[in-house]
Amino acid sequence: MFLLPKGNPLFENLAVTKLKLPEVLSKLSTGSFTGYSSFVFQASTVILVFEAGKLVSALFEDRNGKRQNGFEALTTLAELMVTSGSGTMNVYKLSKDLTMCIHALLEGETLYKAQELKLIDINSLLKRIKDDQLNGCLRIYTQDHSAMIFYKEGNPLGFFHDGSSDIETSSSESQKIAGLPGAKIDLFTTQSVEEIMGINLLEVTNIQKIWDNSVAINQSELEKTSKDRQERDTKLVSVRLYELEEQVKVIVGEYVGRVGRGIVDKELSENGGNSCLIDDAGFVKFLNGVERAAKLLISGTNIKLMVEKLNLAITDAKSGF
Amino acid sequence: MEKFIELITQMNSFDLIQVIFWGLAGAISFYFSIGNARVWTSISIGFFLIFLSQAYGINPWGHYQKLTAFHYIVGTVAIMMITHGFLEYYVFCRTFEISGNKLVVYMSTLGILAASAGFLIINPTPSPNTIRNIRMVENAIWVFLCVMNMELVRKIYLAIKGSDISKGFIAFGLVFLLIFLWRGSELYLQVFQWDRDWQDILTLMTDEVSDIDQYMGRVEFSREVRRYAGLLSGVSVGATFSYIYRLLK
Repeated sequence: MFLLPKGNPLFENLAVTKLKLPEVLSKLSTGSFTGYSSFVFQASTVILVFEAGKLVSALFEDRNGKRQNGFEALTTLAELMVTSGSGTMNVYKLSKDLTMCIHALLEGETLYKAQELKLIDINSLLKRIKDDQLNGCLRIYTQDHSAMIFYKEGNPLGFFHDGSSDIETSSSESQKIAGLPGAKIDLFTTQSVEEIMGINLLEVTNIQKIWDNSVAINQSELEKTSKDRQERDTKLVSVRLYELEEQVKVIVGEYVGRVGRGIVDKELSENGGNSCLIDDAGFVKFLNGVERAAKLLISGTNIKLMVEKLNLAITDAKSGF
Repeated sequence: MEKFIELITQMNSFDLIQVIFWGLAGAISFYFSIGNARVWTSISIGFFLIFLSQAYGINPWGHYQKLTAFHYIVGTVAIMMITHGFLEYYVFCRTFEISGNKLVVYMSTLGILAASAGFLIINPTPSPNTIRNIRMVENAIWVFLCVMNMELVRKIYLAIKGSDISKGFIAFGLVFLLIFLWRGSELYLQVFQWDRDWQDILTLMTDEVSDIDQYMGRVEFSREVRRYAGLLSGVSVGATFSYIYRLLK
């Protein structure tokens, strides 16, 4: 996941579910914001880099290292904001130079990737950075540690390592990691600030449309899920009602004999189907009907026992609905 | 009261016992109709009416011919009520539908009896021959409806087999078999003009000669069947209602 200097935090831990992407981007854009905004979700992070209100980078990365940028990253961000139900947004203001370095780190040209430090001449590399007046970021890392050196026109702007929250002026941590066995480097470069300023993703993408589309898809998914759940629930209720109906028929049949099933069927059809069994008023009517018919067939004592058993069965069954 | 006691003392003891048993059966069935479901009302009122129809022997005003005719009409209404009740019970067994109320049954019965009385009042006094005709019609209806009720009872029993009351319908089957024998033997005697009423008519009113002497064996047998089946019918009705009452308690 991304580990970036925090600079000057403007907002931290804002709940993403309460935010709308077009509004957020519009605010950052109209406020000529320079820095980056991170959207942290359970299994992924999206970084948006702004330079004077222009969205110069958008990068998505998930837990497995899968990355997307530009339009794709913005679309995924909109989807995540709409669907995730959790997540936080942070906004950090950075200097123009550092923002440029962040851009380099995220989307710049890769000059070196996973290069083992012991195999390269670090002094000549640093000389090249200076001589070529590179803008970018040199990342030195091992399996457990990481440090970054940001450069502007070949000169180091500052040092950043895991465990710190902001740019430092001391190179000691970077040197320490460089001295560790198995240390590797990545070198990312980017264009100058002026050239980056020519990019504005907000101008080439219709954020509102991306957002609306994500909302519509999510709404449709929710409706489908809700419909599926309703259908499942209805089916489940229907199965349980059928089981209850059978139970009632067995009880009535036990006391009344084989005509018991017919009596139950008739009373159920007169009281709106087997759903009346779990409706208080409906069950009273149903029971009265069964009792009335049973009076012609069985003794008062057995009617009393049957009614008690039916009441017990219905009370038990109701707790399951 | 004196006339009533005189009538009772003049009555054949067998007929008197029969009337007493029908009285008990009528009381039990009427009591049964009060505390039970509506479908039983027609049946139990019907059996109660049998007692009324049989009670002409102890009726102090029984010598009034219109009243005698009324007794027989009541007997016809009785079997129609019973059949109506069993039909309703059969419909209930097939559809589980229970409709109507007891008051309507009581009022309808009273209405039919009042209409029958009115019919007798507005018509000439019936001759002994007319009364015998009415009695024969009554017996014919009884015989026909007893056969029908036996079939109904069989179907009801098969439909409700397993319920508390189902065995009570076997008892009703026996009741209708006994009534069939009772009324059937009486109808048999009437159809062949071997009944006592016709013999009296012959003796008092015509010069005709009866062939009864030639068939005395079957006549006596039919008379005995009529007597014992009539008595046992009353006993069986009372016992059946008591049994059903116990089953439904």
